Amino acid sequence: MADLTKDEIRAMGKAVGLDIQDPELTEVMYSLNALLESLDAINPPGLNDVEPLPIILPPA
Amino acid sequence: MDKSELPFLSAGDLSRLIQSKEISPVEAINAYLDRIESEDFRFHSYLTVIREQALSDAAQAEMDIAFGNHRGPMHGVPVAVKDQFWSKGVRTTSGSRILTDFVPDEDATVITNLRNAGAVVLGKTNMTEFAITGFSHRFSTPRNPWDIDTYTGGSSSGSGAATAAFLCATSLGEDTGGSIRFPATWCGLVGIRPSWGLVSRYGVMRGVWSMDTVGPISRTVEDAAITLGAIAGHDPKDPYSSQEPVPDYQKSLGGDLKGLRVGIITQFMESDLVEPSVRQTVANSFSTLGELGAAVEGVSIPMAIDAGVASAVLLAVEPALAQQNWIKEHIQEYGHDVRNLLLTGSLVPAQAYYKAQQLRTVLRQQVLDALEKYDVLVLPTAGKGAQPREDDPPITSKESSSRLGFLFTRIFNLASCPAMSVPCGFDDRNMPVGLQIGARPGGEGTIFKGAHAYEQATTWHTMRPPGA
Repeated sequence: MADLTKDEIRAMGKAVGLDIQDPELTEVMYSLNALLESLDAINPPGLNDVEPLPIILPPA
Repeated sequence: MDKSELPFLSAGDLSRLIQSKEISPVEAINAYLDRIESEDFRFHSYLTVIREQALSDAAQAEMDIAFGNHRGPMHGVPVAVKDQFWSKGVRTTSGSRILTDFVPDEDATVITNLRNAGAVVLGKTNMTEFAITGFSHRFSTPRNPWDIDTYTGGSSSGSGAATAAFLCATSLGEDTGGSIRFPATWCGLVGIRPSWGLVSRYGVMRGVWSMDTVGPISRTVEDAAITLGAIAGHDPKDPYSSQEPVPDYQKSLGGDLKGLRVGIITQFMESDLVEPSVRQTVANSFSTLGELGAAVEGVSIPMAIDAGVASAVLLAVEPALAQQNWIKEHIQEYGHDVRNLLLTGSLVPAQAYYKAQQLRTVLRQQVLDALEKYDVLVLPTAGKGAQPREDDPPITSKESSSRLGFLFTRIFNLASCPAMSVPCGFDDRNMPVGLQIGARPGGEGTIFKGAHAYEQATTWHTMRPPGA
C-alpha cells in the first residue's frame, strides 16, 4: 500500500477536528504509515469471517 | 532485629513478624518512610508520599492487631500504588501535567480493598504519562537500582523502582500491554498481570478497556500472591469484574512440578529480537523447570509475533478516543511520545481497528488451543535487559516509530490471560532477565505454583541490587 502523504495526514486530522502541523505532522505520518503497513502485512486465512470479540467475559 | 533492616524483608516475612507482634506496623511504616526520605532522591520512584495518613493507618493497624483483630497477610504491610489509581483526597496525576491538580473524592476499588485488608498505603508511584507509552515521563524518570544509569521499564516504572529499591514491601502496577511485567523483568522482580476481570478497574484511569488489569509488583512470588489476594474480587462498580470466589493463592505455593505441562512458545525463543545472553538465561530456566518435574517442550503459536502489531493499534486508538477532548485542548501539554501516539491513534481508520480486533480473536484462539495441551506457556518477558535512560528520540522514519518490539508481553493481554514475569538470572551486562509464565483465564494458581517452585530452586530473588 502507498504511504499517506503529509497533506493526506493533515486532511485526516481535519476530519476529526485536529489541526496537525509540523513537527508533529511529519512524525505522525511516519507512525501512522508504519502501523498501517505492519497491519496490512498480516493476513491469516479466513480473517474476513472472524467476529472480533474483544474479551472473554468472566463467569457471572 | 536491627530496625534499619526492616525494609529488606519480604512482605511475607514482614507479615508474619507483624502477626506474631515481633514488629509493629508503626515500626514498619516508619522504617520505610525514613528510607524513602533518605534514598528516593536517587530513584525518583514516588510522585506523592502520604506520610501522615500512612502513620495514622499504621497506628490503627497496630491497635487492631493488639486487640486480636488480625485481618490477614496484608495487615500492617506497607504498599506503594501507581498514580494511575484514584486516591481520595490525594493528588492523582496519572503521570501527566494535565492532571497536576486532580484530587479524587474517592478511592479506586483496589485501594479500598488494600485498606480493607489492613495494608498501609505509603504513597503514589511515578509512571509514564497516562501509562500509554513504555518510556516517556512528565515529572522525572525512575532509576533502576540494578544500574542507576538504566531505566526501570514502564509504564509502572515507579512501582518497579520502589519495590526493587526496598522503598515499599510490595506494590501495585497496571498492565494494559505489559506495564507490570516490563518493569518487573528489568528490575529483577515478580510481576503478575491477572486474568482480565479478576481485579476491579473502578477508579483506574483507562487505557484499553478490554486489556487494563491491576496487579502486584513484588520481590517474591509469595509477596505477589498475598498482594493479589488482597485486591482481587467482584466489584459492583466494575460491571465486568468476575463473581467467582477468589482462591487463596498462598495455598498454591509449595511442592514440585510433577505433571505440569509446560509449552515453550518457539516463535519468541527463535526471534532475533532476543539477545543471545537473554536467550541462554531463559533456556536455563526451562531446564530447571524440567528438573523440578515439569514436562517441557516447544509449542508453535503461529500468530504470536503479530501480537505487537495488533495490540499497537488498540493501544493507539482507545486512549486517543478516551482523551479526545484533552487532545483538542491541551495537545502541547503532552510529552513528545504520548502526543505522537495520541495524534496517530486519532487518525487510525475504523477498518484498521476492526482488523486488529479480528487478529486478536484469532490469536486468542491459538493461545487457548495451546493451553488445552499445556498448563502454562513460557517465554522471555523481554528480549533484552534494562537499557540506558534517554530522552524521547525524534521519529525520523517509519522504522524509528516503535521502540517496544523487544517486549513479549502483549500476547497475554490480547488473549485475556494471566501472565507473570519472575526473575531467572542476568544478561551479559549483569542486568536482570525475566521468565514469563502465562496460563488460561483463571489460572493464576497454576502460575503461582510453577513460579514459586522455580523461585525456591534458584537464588535470584535473594540478590540485592547494588544501587539499593
